[in-house]
Amino acid sequence: MKWFWCFFFMFWPILALLVCWIAPGYGWWFPSAAASQLGSRIDDLFYMILIITTITFVGTQFALGYVLFTGAQSSEEGSTRKVWFSHGSHELEVIWSIVPAFVLLFISLYQLDVWAEYRVKDAFPKAKMLGVLDRIEQKRNSKDSIALAEVTARQFEWRIRYPGFDQEGHLLPLMLEPQPTDLYSVNDLHLPANAPVMINLRTIDVQHSFFLPELRIKQDAVPGLIIPIWFEANHEATYSLLCAELCGWGHYKMKANFVAESEQEFVAYLKQLQKEQNYDGVATSEETSDE
Amino acid sequence: MRTCFLLTIICLLTGCGKPQFENRAQFAELEPYAQEYVQKVLDAHFGTPTEMVVWDRLPLEPHDATGTVVSAADREVKLELTEPHQDILPGTELFWKVKGEEGEPATSQSVWIREWNEETHTAILEGNVTALPVENDQVILGPGAVLSRGRMLYAEHCQHCHGVSGDGAGPTSPYMNPKPRDYRLGLFKFTSTQGPFRAQRADLARVLELGIPGTYMPSFKLLTEREMNSLVEYVLWLSMRGETEYLMVKFLSDSYSTTAVKERVASGKEKKNDGAEEYETYSSIRQEFIDAVNDEDEIPAELQMFSELIASRWSDSQETSAVVTPSEVHKEYTEESIANGRKLYLSDALKCVSCHGEAGYGNGPQTWSITKDLDTGKDNPAPGLYDAWGNPLKPRNLHTGIFRGGRRPIDLYARLHAGIKGTPMPAFGGKLKDEELWDLVNYIYSVPFTEDVAGAGKVAEAQAAESSEVEPATSPEPATVPEKAAANVQAEESDTEVVVNN
Repeated sequence: MKWFWCFFFMFWPILALLVCWIAPGYGWWFPSAAASQLGSRIDDLFYMILIITTITFVGTQFALGYVLFTGAQSSEEGSTRKVWFSHGSHELEVIWSIVPAFVLLFISLYQLDVWAEYRVKDAFPKAKMLGVLDRIEQKRNSKDSIALAEVTARQFEWRIRYPGFDQEGHLLPLMLEPQPTDLYSVNDLHLPANAPVMINLRTIDVQHSFFLPELRIKQDAVPGLIIPIWFEANHEATYSLLCAELCGWGHYKMKANFVAESEQEFVAYLKQLQKEQNYDGVATSEETSDE
Repeated sequence: MRTCFLLTIICLLTGCGKPQFENRAQFAELEPYAQEYVQKVLDAHFGTPTEMVVWDRLPLEPHDATGTVVSAADREVKLELTEPHQDILPGTELFWKVKGEEGEPATSQSVWIREWNEETHTAILEGNVTALPVENDQVILGPGAVLSRGRMLYAEHCQHCHGVSGDGAGPTSPYMNPKPRDYRLGLFKFTSTQGPFRAQRADLARVLELGIPGTYMPSFKLLTEREMNSLVEYVLWLSMRGETEYLMVKFLSDSYSTTAVKERVASGKEKKNDGAEEYETYSSIRQEFIDAVNDEDEIPAELQMFSELIASRWSDSQETSAVVTPSEVHKEYTEESIANGRKLYLSDALKCVSCHGEAGYGNGPQTWSITKDLDTGKDNPAPGLYDAWGNPLKPRNLHTGIFRGGRRPIDLYARLHAGIKGTPMPAFGGKLKDEELWDLVNYIYSVPFTEDVAGAGKVAEAQAAESSEVEPATSPEPATVPEKAAANVQAEESDTEVVVNN
């Protein structure tokens, strides 16, 4: 029986390594390669932590195996080996307190800049975001929001508000309060690709979580807060937008498309939204007023 | 696949009872023999959720496509289909009837499609084909497939609120305000059609696609068009089933509800005591019912009439002529137009104020008055407004900027022109000119962005009349208290958006 336990505890680290090894080939891994630069840096952090925990896990399991094995040997008949009584060893206690503490300290310092870039407003790539707004010719002054859309989570859908166009057809900045010119859509977020863009996230009922799995973006929507999030899609593609916080019985329905497209296509999409939103049922009418 | 998996899990957790249609409450008030008859009619023409029957009198499109054979050779069948049709995918069944030899009944034949060419409308068939349709045969592609697909999708996405029979009483519905739609009256609120018409298929698809903001109905934008069409068709089928049940039960409860029969028997007894030779008893009423059911000109004729009524209502509503179409384009969103709209809003002729309130907070005097039932015309039991389903109803607070039926000018125009079906919101189509309707639309657009306060309406009206200014000049002193009152009203509205300053 004692040999069984030795092999039993050895089996798991080997299985864990094996599963990690074959997982990417079977698609048991991340939902596609990270589709944003920040995303691949987040993946790097993940891999780093995975490597540290793997070394720790495999190391402790083999140590356990070794202890079991020698213990099993010394309990064989005729063995003269004595057990080593390690309880209360001051050196060991110090070692296994200090080493993990340093590892944790290292992780916390190492990830700081990624975290800051993603979460701290002053570290946002603001210049690049303004570049996008310039290129799509938004009529703005320096105090206007750099967000391109307001995403409102609600049970169980994503409602999106874009700024509209003025009389001359210039894109207006997004205001905190709804404006008569605003454009609305639901479960369909369009934004420019290949450059950082910012949205404002809010919820009108319970907590939700804005989750772009391919871009590795996840942010809780908290009642009463307007939370800015930025992201940059590397390719023009349609990604999924999910809710990652169990928000009620219809949580599973809370799926939407995030369409990353070129800047021209984005403006064209907004123009199309404006046209649809101004449809007055008269077949021959061209675009009517700005409302 | 995913749906099957989900359903299996649900079955395992709740027990594998087959889903059953439930009958409306009035059904239980019929005499047992009348109940039995209604149940038989419903079973015969609609079946059960798992064994659906399509009544061919009703204007449904349950199949993927129907058409005639142009040519058939080898394994290739060229067809001419009636448009529009659903996408034909590999594995679709091709079904037709073969006339029997003399005296023998027709037999049905099926083959399966392996490949479909949409451009030439040619199907290449699967496997060993033992029989082929011949030229000019009427064929059906995917018989009943639209409805059965719709049923699976309905079970996955809709049933937990809207209920198995579409009664809006699914397991999650008790926690909701407003209640999920009960389809069984055939009424849908947000339609593009004129007042007397039913909803169009496109209206239902639009609600599915965009959801209804301000209610619990979410958007199902990620469903494909094929899935959307299937769901719409299934909801139509449920509506027609519900309407048939509603009309039958309503018709029969005049004479054969438990209370009606009791009264008839009581008066029969009186007659008997008066010495009359013919009088009604329980058994004579039962016999009368059985005779009426077996007499082609009585109850079956009524049933026929009901089905024709339902069919014509729905098929007429699908016509383009049923749609509300403004004859003038949307008037420009100017201060003048808004002021005209406000004047109309406050006018005695339109009575907008009686429900929506002078300031548009949805708190007009009707919300605390005893109102009449829409159907019977009797007084409602408690103050306030009620819809055709008997649920308490709040007039819309115009300040929220939420437009349940859509925010396009045509949506607002259609609400004003045709009213909102099943609610006290009247149709102004005949009453107002197009121009005036557009003024009202513009006014409604402007309300969320104005700071009218409750009680300032009369002042505003006077000012508007005098100087035709749009914005009522509200002085800061009187504004403080009513603004608070307004905030309370807003807080009570479930669909009020929380406005937060970052």
